[in-house]
Amino acid sequence: MAFQVDRQLSFLATVNVAAIVAGAVLVGASFVELYNFQSMASQVPELGFLALGVMLAMISGNGGIDLSGIALANLSGVAAYFFLRGAISADDAPLLFTWSLIGVALGVGLVGGMLNGFLIAKVGLTPIIATLGTQLLFTGLAIVLTNGSALSIGYVEPLDDFGNATILSVPQCFALFLVVALAIGAILRFTPFGQRLLLLGNNAKAARYAGIPEKRILFLTYAVCGLLASVAGIVIAARTSSVKWDYGSSYVLIAILIAVMAGVRPEGGYGRVICVVLSATSLQMLSSLFNFMNISNFFRDLAWGVLLLVFIATSGFDFRAWFRAVRS
Amino acid sequence: MPDFRKLAACTVALSTIWGAAAATAEEKPSIVTVVKVTGENWFTRMAEGVAAYGNDNDTVATSQIGPGKADAAQQARLIEDLVAKKVSAIAVVPMDASSLEGVLKRAAQRGIKVVTHEADSMKNTLVDIEAFENKAFGARFNEKIAECMGKSGKWTSFVGSLGSLTHVQWADGGAENAKKYPEMELVSEKNESFNDANRAYEKAREILRKYPDIKGFQGGSAIDVIGIGRAVEEAGLQDKTCVFGIGLPKDTGSYLESGAVDGISFWDPKDAGYVMNKVADMVIKGEEIKDGMDLGVPGYEKVSVKKGAGDGIIVVGEAWVDVDKSNYGKYPF
Repeated sequence: MAFQVDRQLSFLATVNVAAIVAGAVLVGASFVELYNFQSMASQVPELGFLALGVMLAMISGNGGIDLSGIALANLSGVAAYFFLRGAISADDAPLLFTWSLIGVALGVGLVGGMLNGFLIAKVGLTPIIATLGTQLLFTGLAIVLTNGSALSIGYVEPLDDFGNATILSVPQCFALFLVVALAIGAILRFTPFGQRLLLLGNNAKAARYAGIPEKRILFLTYAVCGLLASVAGIVIAARTSSVKWDYGSSYVLIAILIAVMAGVRPEGGYGRVICVVLSATSLQMLSSLFNFMNISNFFRDLAWGVLLLVFIATSGFDFRAWFRAVRS
Repeated sequence: MPDFRKLAACTVALSTIWGAAAATAEEKPSIVTVVKVTGENWFTRMAEGVAAYGNDNDTVATSQIGPGKADAAQQARLIEDLVAKKVSAIAVVPMDASSLEGVLKRAAQRGIKVVTHEADSMKNTLVDIEAFENKAFGARFNEKIAECMGKSGKWTSFVGSLGSLTHVQWADGGAENAKKYPEMELVSEKNESFNDANRAYEKAREILRKYPDIKGFQGGSAIDVIGIGRAVEEAGLQDKTCVFGIGLPKDTGSYLESGAVDGISFWDPKDAGYVMNKVADMVIKGEEIKDGMDLGVPGYEKVSVKKGAGDGIIVVGEAWVDVDKSNYGKYPF
């Protein structure tokens, strides 16, 4: 399978480049200097990981979606810090503390994702209902653990570095995002699991007759979504040096917007990781551009809407062609 | 493929512009005020103060921004971009102080002066400005509620969010004061309204249903009393309840008239905005803020200075204003 440049990809690449050009013209040097690119890049992962989760859920078909992402992200951070702060001293063993935090957070994310997977694959709940329920559950747990207030982690060098430092000029958390995205892309494209997931999303009935283990694949997919959410939670903890249950309450819809703008089909069966990455970066660059230009945040919501419609309009032709190809 | 050509053209255009862009000159120092959320009257009034300071002092450029939704993450992102933009100073009214520590530390590392308001636990700030002592302010509300409800009965408190430190301090200050009156019973305290009058209204309705004999409400966020007032009015309990809290005269006027809200206190956000920018300007110029200093704004004529949670200082004024049915018309906001 060769690397393809389709309409979505070129459209998103154009938006990215156009945002940089517009920034250079309208704002000037401060927009195109290295610091700003690093700053923008390090803002991407929080949402990017969530959007990757939404993409996987959408690909799985049958109205697949994960609304519990940011709630689980916050719960992972909250739970990890809550259980570790008494057990390991961040001052004496910062490295051990950081890795333990990451470990516990990933564990919580995995369990949360498996719960979603269980409800959807085994119990057979509609994904939107199941994840809405778990969203409330995760949020509730995080509130109970913290009494609703933020827990301040303080300065822990390795954790802080992960959130803020760079590796070869690339912010560490953004580098991780790229690596994870690449891995997911490879899984979707080259592994039997990925192929089965795409087939399942495309046509669940055919997949069932072809002997694809539907339940196991759905379960695994939502478990991975949970894992991705907890990575987002770790990034949030590292970048804000604190954990709180309601951080990023506006992220649920933005993550879905990123996925839809990336051309992931809400009906399932299609989605490209590179498009999700480009979609996330373009949204970030436009958002930063608006901030640099002092453009109202209300206009931003409008701009997202316009962007989404423009995208759907320009890629409309391709969709039609695709449908015809399937029918013939 | 034409798409490739489009891409290539963009890249060429980009590289030419890159050079041109580098030539843009830097103007006078800029102070940007970042508020919790745009569009709320409280912060619209604050914007007047921010603009006023800019008009009075043409050596600095002042402006105010804020997220469209009250979400700590959105506010952090705005500040993140300001840090990249490298403004001279940032004056923040944090949605949730602890979630901004990271980004404000990065601001300081980049040489940006950071000033905060309503965040006396903030570590990464040079100066935090408080309109008054928060516990005392909460106790004042409670004292009025206690007096109004005859020092006995059920009462509750509202906060914008549990992360909004000052709101929690007012609620706690109120609760502490109420301990003086053994007949007063605090029920389901610190209801979160998320700075949304509708949420406050729904919460207040729930509470009225659960405790039909409730007598006192203490509002935390500036719009809490509006929501509570609406719920009280609908229930026809204007004369049986005592609603006090922070609020703005213009928003609350009709409820003060009907008696659904009994009294409001506030500090003028315009003055707070002005003072924040004044202090930021002083920090940029390297001037020291001393105990007892006159910052030239009503309520901040004789500020007290104490040590902050981090390396910075906390500046406390005496800038509260009490308003009821008789005199709310005097304040045009």
